[in-house]
Formats: sequence, C-alpha cells, structure tokens
Amino acid sequence: MGTQTYDAIVVGSGMSGGWAAKELCEKGLKTLVLERGQQLRHVTDYTTALKDPWQLPHNNRATNADKAAQPIQSTLYLYDQSTKGMFVDDNRYHYEQAKPFNWYRGYHVGGRSLMWSRHVFRFSDLDFEANGKEGVGVDWPIRYADISPWYDYVEKFIGASGENPALPQLPKQILQPPFEMTALEKYVKGAFEKAFTDRRLICSSIAVLSRELNGRGPCQGRNQCARGCPYSAYFSSNGVTLPAAAATGNLTLQPDSVVHSLIYDEAKNRVTGVRVVDVNTLKTTEYFSRIVFLCASTLNSTSILLNTRGKRFPNGLGNDSGELGHNLMDHHNGGGATASYSGLLDRYYRGRRSTSMYIPRFRNVTTHEEKFKRGYGYEFYSGRNNWTRGVETADFGADFKNEITRPGTWSVYTEGYGETLPRHDNRIWLSHDKLDKWGIPALNVSMSYGDNEHAMAQQMMEDAVEMFKAAKLEDVQGFNHPVTPGSVIHEMGTARMGRDPKTSVLNSHNQLHAVPNVFVTDGSFMVSSPTQNPSLTYMALTARAADFAVDKLKRGEL
Amino acid sequence: MGSAALGQVLTAFAAAPRKATTFSESEMRTLRALVDMILPATDSPAASAADTHYFIDLAIPACATPAAQKTFRSGLAAFAGFDQLSADKQVAKLKSRAAADMPLSYDESFFRILKDYTMTGYFLSEIGATQALAYERVPGGFWGDLPLQPNQKAWAI
Repeated sequence: MGTQTYDAIVVGSGMSGGWAAKELCEKGLKTLVLERGQQLRHVTDYTTALKDPWQLPHNNRATNADKAAQPIQSTLYLYDQSTKGMFVDDNRYHYEQAKPFNWYRGYHVGGRSLMWSRHVFRFSDLDFEANGKEGVGVDWPIRYADISPWYDYVEKFIGASGENPALPQLPKQILQPPFEMTALEKYVKGAFEKAFTDRRLICSSIAVLSRELNGRGPCQGRNQCARGCPYSAYFSSNGVTLPAAAATGNLTLQPDSVVHSLIYDEAKNRVTGVRVVDVNTLKTTEYFSRIVFLCASTLNSTSILLNTRGKRFPNGLGNDSGELGHNLMDHHNGGGATASYSGLLDRYYRGRRSTSMYIPRFRNVTTHEEKFKRGYGYEFYSGRNNWTRGVETADFGADFKNEITRPGTWSVYTEGYGETLPRHDNRIWLSHDKLDKWGIPALNVSMSYGDNEHAMAQQMMEDAVEMFKAAKLEDVQGFNHPVTPGSVIHEMGTARMGRDPKTSVLNSHNQLHAVPNVFVTDGSFMVSSPTQNPSLTYMALTARAADFAVDKLKRGEL
Repeated sequence: MGSAALGQVLTAFAAAPRKATTFSESEMRTLRALVDMILPATDSPAASAADTHYFIDLAIPACATPAAQKTFRSGLAAFAGFDQLSADKQVAKLKSRAAADMPLSYDESFFRILKDYTMTGYFLSEIGATQALAYERVPGGFWGDLPLQPNQKAWAI
C-alpha cells in the first residue's frame, strides 16, 4: 500500500495538470500524475517534427484509412500525416452525440498542450462582472484583482510574446516583443487607425517565444507546432511544466492510467484516493492521497465526478446543486470575411509565423448593443497566395507554371471568436448502463448555440466586411458559417464556480463546495466563456488553487 | 557482402524502372505525359522528373474518395494513347477536357482531380519545393516585411 499513497494526485497531464504538478511538487508534495494516454517524451517522441513534406506519406495528405480511423479528428484544420498521431482514434474513444459535437483531443502525456493554438489573452473585469450584471447564469466568485498576480506568475514562467494590448477589455501582460507584421498587416493597421477609434489590429499574445527564455526557443519559424517543438519554443506541459515538476524529485508520472472514479469517505467527508484502470491490462488499482486535483479536461473531469456516486452523492460527487454536467460552452467562430489586395507586390516575408494578428473586442465594451450580449475578438491572417491558387483553375503549361511559382497577390482572412452564454440545457451526462472496455459509462454530449450567439455571428460577419472595406481591401466576401459545437476546442463549464453551493459546484478557489480536498482546475470550472482563448486562465487559476490547497493542507484544514 | 558488391546492387536498383502499384504501364505513360503537360520543364524540372506520376499512382487509391477514384480511372482511360500525340494535339485535348470538366464537382471532374494531385505531388516533392519554389525546413525565425527580390520564387509552404 505504501507506494500507492501520495500527498497529492493530479488527474491529467495537459495544460492544467502540468501546472498542478509543477506547483504541488515545488511546494514539497509527493505528487502522482495520472495520464490516461500513452507516454510522449519531449522532443524524443516528436517523430515528424523535422520531416519535409516529401518525407511524409502522400506528401502529408491524409488517407481514406486515416479518416476512417479518426472520422472526427480528421476534420480538424491541423490534421495531416504529420499530426495525426497526436489525436485519438475516434473509434476507440467513443462518445454519444445527442446533438452534433466535435470533441478534438489527444490522449498522451501533455494532452492538448501539444496541439493548442497558443493564444494567451487575459480576462478582465468586463468578463468577470458580466454574468452578475446581466443576470446570466451565476456570478463569477472572483474578480480581476484575484487572478491578476497569478497571470503575472504564469506569464513569466511560460514565456509569451505579443503586442501588449493593455486595453480595459484585454489587460496588460508580461510579454516578449511581438512577431513582425507583414506589409499587408502594417497597411491594414494604419487603415484601421484612420477609419476607427474603437478597432485596432495587433499581434496576438501567444505562448511562443520570440526571444530565448531559460534555454528554450526562440521560435524558428516552422509553424509546425502541433508536431511538437524540438526547440521548446512554444509552451507545452511536456517541454515546460512537467520537467519543472520532475526536477523536484517529487513527481511520479504514470501514463496509461484512466481514472474510473474517486474514492469518497462519507464519515470524513473527504476523497481518500482514486480508482485507476490500466488502459492496457484493464487491471484496477486504488491510489490514495490527501488532495486530488482534477485536470483531465472539461468533459473528462466532470465525467469522473459524475461517475463517483454513493449514498451522500447519488448524482455525482459534489453535485448538491444539480449543476454538475450543465452549462457546457464553447466559443463560436462562424462569422468573418475574406479579401484580397493587389498592392504591395514588392513586399514579401521569410519564415512561417505561428501566430495570428488580432482585432480586440469592441462590441459591448463601452457601448450597449441591442441585438446581443457580450462580444468577440477576431483572429486575422494574411499572406501572399502560393501555388495552391492554381489548383482550382483550368490553366496548365509553362506560362501557368511560371506564374504560380511566383508569389501571388495578398489574401486576407479574419474570423471572429464569440462569447457563448452559459445555458443549463447545454450539458453532458453518463449512461451508467453502457460501459466501455475500461468499465467507464458512456458520455453523452448535447449542446447547441442560442439566439444570442446567432445574432452575434451575423454582426461578426458584418463588422468584418465593414473593416475590410474601410481598409480598401478588394473582393471582400463576408461569411457566416454554421458552427458545430466543440469545433473551437474550448469546451468550458459543466462544473462551474460560484459563491452559492446551491447553484454552483466549485467555490472561488476551484474547490468542491461539498468536499474540500477536491479541486477542479481545467475548463470545467468556467462560469462564462469570455471571447478570449481560455488556457491562460486555466493555468493561472490552477497555480492559485494549488497555492490555496497547500496552505490549507499545512494548516491541517483539509 | 563487400562494399563493391553492395555498390553494384545499389546501381542496379537505381537503374531499374520504377514499378507502379495501381496503374498499368500504358496508363503510367499516359499519366506521365499528362503531368508534364500541366507542369512542363521550365527553369525547373518537369513534373515527371519529380516522379509526380508515381505519387499519383500511390495517392489516388489511398487518398481520393471512391467516387473520385472512379472518375480518375475512367478519365485516364479516355486519355489512352495521349503520350503518342503531337504536342499541339495534347494541348488541344487537355484544354477541351479542362473546359468540359471545370463546371463539374470535384469528384466528377477528371481534370480537377488530375491537377490537384499533380500539383500536390510536384510542389511538395523535393525537386518541386526546392527548385520550382523556395523551401526552408527550419527558417530560423520570421521576417515579416522584406523587399521581394527580382525573380524570387514563392515559398512552397
């Protein structure tokens, strides 16, 4: 039994789990990190990272067999021969889509911290106050002042770069210098400054190093991040937090270990450990600890709580409120515009920048919109057309080849990332009568966007068109695509924080209201969805919760 | 095996004609002529010099949808003997097929499928990416706003 007892257990090794591991280990806790996926060693296991297109099967094109094995994962923009190994086999890891929901994920050490889009903006009080002011969902139990020092703490360690927005809606950050704009982006930035007072184009805040930091980076301009970075230039658990945790000597990292449920002691009202099924041998083992951090990703952490049932908690651990599994959110990015520009033909670029430009939110910041609540920021991309512009034409021959081997005109693309309001009926639940090979009940997901999101998406398109026209871009085409929930890969909610145990699952320290030694610090804690990419906030609140937990533990209060 | 003998084996292997896996020898001759008609030798080698027809031979069965595969096979059959035609006739035949095919959906259009796989096969090959285009595996950074050099090639990716 001795080797199965730790001070802390962390479930999951991705964005949040890596941070929990680092913080708890550095504070002296013997910590077991359980990862349901396989081992994936930093650099050593990035087997496709430096492959040229012609060294990959079919010049990096996915095959019909790939798509059959990964029918959901293969629809992702990142998916190709070089990255397919980072994503799950959909047939092996089935879930029930009560409504269509794209669940993109990787089961391996590091989780999605290896394939994330790396954008790291802070939330502001505009975000933390919105639910309370508008009477939507429940109020966030924290404000910007509570999280601000933890954003500082995380940004210093992960290393991020960008053009510091320093706006009320996008607070000032600790950033390295941004990556350079293209000639077209500089032009658009200038045009926006002339045409608008409330809109600007900036370089996104991104967890990619533009300068060396602690022996990592800088970015080498490959833009093949999702293969894994041999230069450690972007933040991942594998390259940054897990090595820091391991360096303490307090870390035990155990892959291939899926957590079935938590072990709850009703007399003590504490969780005493976790039940783990070995992914390969199917053998069940119990591990024990004084505190548990759930960082298994939104849908999986909540599933573990829902699957921990007994007399005290018949509907899932800590589910006195009935809100566990509810209020699922994702962003929506269906609205935007494309354009071209026939000028600046004497300017080009070198290298492949791995970040977007960004247009910060301007709706419902200082003004009040009639049609919808909240707002959106835009990612913005530009480049000169390459050979692919010739695929869809009738041309061929020497003149055609000469033309398409030279840089084409500029093309420009923007899409909004809109806030989604929390709704009780967007939810996940388990089918306890339908078990997978590991004995875990089937997960059901049901989510749809509502009127607020649809009204917002229309405005996202119209604003994008207006901005492109104001910048005198050409062939401006707006779009407003329907979005399948899950597609932005920002699953949030299902175990929300709040002040009142009657209406929320977690308190202001990511601690279960009902069971004080369980902390949930992945996207499931989210109360609203803001417009910003959420990972930075998961990291900051994980570090904050770890600090709180260890303090309480030392005081004998857990 | 001594190194001299190994050398002979390697030389023989390199000289041996490459075998196609999907298409017949005559179909491969047709395909070779078609990819070179789309992307002929210019200041960089022709598509066939990068084995683009062999790329297609492997990629069509692996990557194309069943409908596109069917379209491609029957389209290729309709071009039987294409390699025997004069250059002028080749141009005219491919032009007329392009005009007929462009309005069709991708899966129904032999020309669009052929062009897609020809371009992917060539421009992402070592010859296409590094001679017809410009390619850096590890650029070493990002320079956002540089003057375009005379006759500068576009980046392959």
